[in-house]
Amino acid sequence: MSLAAAVILVVLSWLWVIGEDRARGVVLISAQSAEHVGQFIEDLLGIGSPSPPAYLRPDRWAAMAGLAAETLGMSVLAAGLAGAGALALGVFAARTVAFGPLRPSRSPLWPMAFFVTRGAFIVSRALPELLWALLLLFLFTPGTLPGALALGLHNLGVVGKLGAEVVEDLNLRPIQALQRSGARPGQLLAYGIVPSMLPQLLTYLLYRWEVIIRSTIVVGFVGAGGLGQEFRLRMSFFHYTDVTLILLVYLLLVFGVDLVSAGLRRLAR
Amino acid sequence: MIEAVRLEEVCRRYPNGAGLHPVSLSIGVGETVAIVGPSGAGKSTLLSLIAGVFPPDTGRVFLHGRLLADLAPGRELARLVGIVHQQFDLVPQLSVHSNVLAGRLGEWGLARSLLSLVVPQDAALAKRALERVGLLDRWNERTSRLSGGEQQRVALARLLVQNPRIILADEPVASLDPARAEDLLALLTGIAAGEGKTLIASLHSVALARRFFNRIVALRAGLVQFDRPAAEVADDDLAEIYALEDHVR
Repeated sequence: MSLAAAVILVVLSWLWVIGEDRARGVVLISAQSAEHVGQFIEDLLGIGSPSPPAYLRPDRWAAMAGLAAETLGMSVLAAGLAGAGALALGVFAARTVAFGPLRPSRSPLWPMAFFVTRGAFIVSRALPELLWALLLLFLFTPGTLPGALALGLHNLGVVGKLGAEVVEDLNLRPIQALQRSGARPGQLLAYGIVPSMLPQLLTYLLYRWEVIIRSTIVVGFVGAGGLGQEFRLRMSFFHYTDVTLILLVYLLLVFGVDLVSAGLRRLAR
Repeated sequence: MIEAVRLEEVCRRYPNGAGLHPVSLSIGVGETVAIVGPSGAGKSTLLSLIAGVFPPDTGRVFLHGRLLADLAPGRELARLVGIVHQQFDLVPQLSVHSNVLAGRLGEWGLARSLLSLVVPQDAALAKRALERVGLLDRWNERTSRLSGGEQQRVALARLLVQNPRIILADEPVASLDPARAEDLLALLTGIAAGEGKTLIASLHSVALARRFFNRIVALRAGLVQFDRPAAEVADDDLAEIYALEDHVR
């Protein structure tokens, strides 16, 4: 079934390339474009340029380290905002709290809070980081703060929903035992729900942090600062060896964040 | 005799036919009562009804002369009755002292409860309880790192801190090896005797019931089969409840 679908897809794409596109796409693999690629790689490496390439200059590395720190800060702030929001709101978005055994009272406020928070999560994660960044940068002065806010808002929707699902999957027995020891709703939250959900929520948040550090480049492009913004500037000024340097620093940053995240996840368990 | 627990014609039925139908029982203050009987006889249902986990379908439950249905859930109920389960039901991510002090939540406000997660409140009380169950050296440990037997004793320490007048234990030794089972029952009955508390425990082992408790109530298929002082329970009586179960099967 899926094989047939794949075959049809391949046949149709080639019919389109040859018929509709008049094989303009095939230009991609012409001798001329091969030359362009070669030239671009030479530019990136700084071959034939009179000045030393940026990726060999310590002062350029130092400047990029500053931007990398800015980018890292943006990602940490974004993850922190998403995590704090998810912790504060995720509980209200859990069905067990709104309708089920964890409902603190018969008040209709609990189901209402459920629909409001779930709705907010849907909206905030439906808008991609880029769209949030464009909206926020339109409202505020460009910089890492609106960038972090944009990343935080998109991820709040993701982590909030995951947090609500963690609460829905909690083992109820320890919480009911607390109830029987005389605990009231606020105390159940502090002694039962939050400690039980925290390790899993932290794990999700750390995974999202790895995604966020990659997205910082995208929001940087539209003016949120950091390595992304620098990348765009250097590309438009044809400073190709700086582009190489930014790519190197960016890869190191992503690799480092993945390592730290994996270590912290092990601790959270 | 001052009554700690009084059940009047209490019924609770489950769709599969299990439950209690009906049971009347009177237990005096300071008595130690073992509820024995085969699986599905209604032991857990009986304890849950006394703990107020759910109400009976019909009939009435009184604790220290007060109708259970009239007691506010939470603090008022927690002062009268506390229950330890086979699965101990602790919060595994909390420290041992926080789990023990959770027994005080009924007495504390929210601010004090939150503070206690950082700076343990009523610490002397919790230390005394942990010392009693022999786990004072695990004070700061994460509860999930403790063995099953240790967690059970932490649950008991929480109950000591909660300090209810009636202690219920639902299959407290089901998951323990024989030596630890005896230690735990000695601890439970010692606490009841030392502080004049009423103890009601469900057990599978009749031998343990006869050794540690002063009264045995045998349930079978939701009805009281016999109810007499442990010393007067003959081997034949016990053979009967379990033999009959085999016959029913």
